[in-house]
Amino acid sequence: MDWLQQFLPLNEGRLGVWIGVVCTLAIYSILYRENPFYRFFEHLYIGLAAGYSLGPLFADIIYKYWVDPLLKGEWYWAPVVPFGLYLYFIYNERYGWVSRIIIGLLIGASAGLFFQAFSSRYLPQLNSTLAKPLWITDANPDMVISGVINNWIFIIFLLAVLTYFTFSFEHRGAVKRVATVGRWFLMIGLGAMFGNTVMARMALLIGRIYYLLSDWLGIPVGGG
Amino acid sequence: MQTERKSFWDRLLTIDRRWLYLALFVNIVVFLLLPLRLPAVVSGPVRKFYNAMERLQPGDMVMVSSNWSASTIAENQPQLEAVLRHLMRKKVRFTIMSVEAQARDLSLRLAQRLAKEYGYEYGRDWAHFGFYTDLIVAIKGMTNDLHDTVKQDVKGTPTRELPVLQGIQSLKDYKMVIDVTPSGTVPDWISYRPKNLIVLYCPTSVMAAEAYTFLDSGQIEGMLTGAKGAQEYEQLLGVVGLGTRFINGIQFSHVLIILTILVGNLALLMKRLAQEA
Repeated sequence: MDWLQQFLPLNEGRLGVWIGVVCTLAIYSILYRENPFYRFFEHLYIGLAAGYSLGPLFADIIYKYWVDPLLKGEWYWAPVVPFGLYLYFIYNERYGWVSRIIIGLLIGASAGLFFQAFSSRYLPQLNSTLAKPLWITDANPDMVISGVINNWIFIIFLLAVLTYFTFSFEHRGAVKRVATVGRWFLMIGLGAMFGNTVMARMALLIGRIYYLLSDWLGIPVGGG
Repeated sequence: MQTERKSFWDRLLTIDRRWLYLALFVNIVVFLLLPLRLPAVVSGPVRKFYNAMERLQPGDMVMVSSNWSASTIAENQPQLEAVLRHLMRKKVRFTIMSVEAQARDLSLRLAQRLAKEYGYEYGRDWAHFGFYTDLIVAIKGMTNDLHDTVKQDVKGTPTRELPVLQGIQSLKDYKMVIDVTPSGTVPDWISYRPKNLIVLYCPTSVMAAEAYTFLDSGQIEGMLTGAKGAQEYEQLLGVVGLGTRFINGIQFSHVLIILTILVGNLALLMKRLAQEA
């Protein structure tokens, strides 16, 4: 009867596994039909996830960067948290203007950060696109024919999709045809993204089934 | 009253979706239990990821940005596990940080488990910086002065007292950052990191498609796409991890989905043809 003792929730580790199994089955019960069991565990999960984040938030942020320095006598940090709390004046009709100070600071900081982000995020992509060799010449002796074809496909796709997103003038004649091709290219891209999404969802389901088979039932999975 | 008899194709089109769920569940269970390991064709981004890791030297410093929670554990845990194994094999020093509260403890526990296996000592070979609410602020702060920004590790030890950070003043002294994430955190690393820092990316499959522009421009050096990417990477490392164990289920669930799409479309076509006739 050793296997039964190992299987039943008789110690802390096994109890955790059993709780995980009950939660998993409760959440997947929605696939059969809407039920109160599912609703309860859905709310439990959301509540736990939100509550769990409060622990690290206090330990790693509030305590480390505010309480601890104050306890060490660094009093100049004292106004920081009350100043941040001004944001909540947004809910007060009379003193709502106070929150604008914080909102203004946040918008200013975001705008400043965006300048840096734009140059380091998008300019290298523009540079990489413009630098793609479309022919094999003496300047790029390492380039192979498959690379050249790849670059042509890239440029054609790019120009077609950009044409589709050009709204400054009416799409007519050749422009309309290129824009239509651009829309089809977009569809291919979105299809690839959707395919990846399906793969992600399958992996999450497989992760849960793996948990039921391996952690709960102790069955070796994927060849052990 | 006489009821109209449904054709085979009609019955296929009105099948209760719960039978499809059951078929998918049975399919996954059967192929997970199958003691068969299909070899992976290693994709270009995974090969580049592996090569970048292989270029690291013992003692080099790497930042692991682990930002996943329990909801994406099936994709991000195999990735992080494979990455940490490789870092420990290469005797590379590393630190972990998280901008997701759950990731703080999930990554800490995973690293502690693997550290025992590879004889890695906390504080000497690796450390965990804990949880941050804003990645951009953390990156910019650590780029200026890591010790003033991080102050203490997850255990409350001042960073200046951690042997693993000897000779490290800022992110500029790191060689690489590896972002394991289901969220859009990698653009922040690309935008605000010191320019000498190599970026490697481990997204969930959902996020992977958006990263190909960064791969093409060289802003990301390599990428592991979800559990499939982890399986390819495990094959290169020669280990059997969760990616390898999941892959039969992933592949054959896709076969089932493709078959049901084909059958569904065929049924629709046959119904239309019958109506036209």
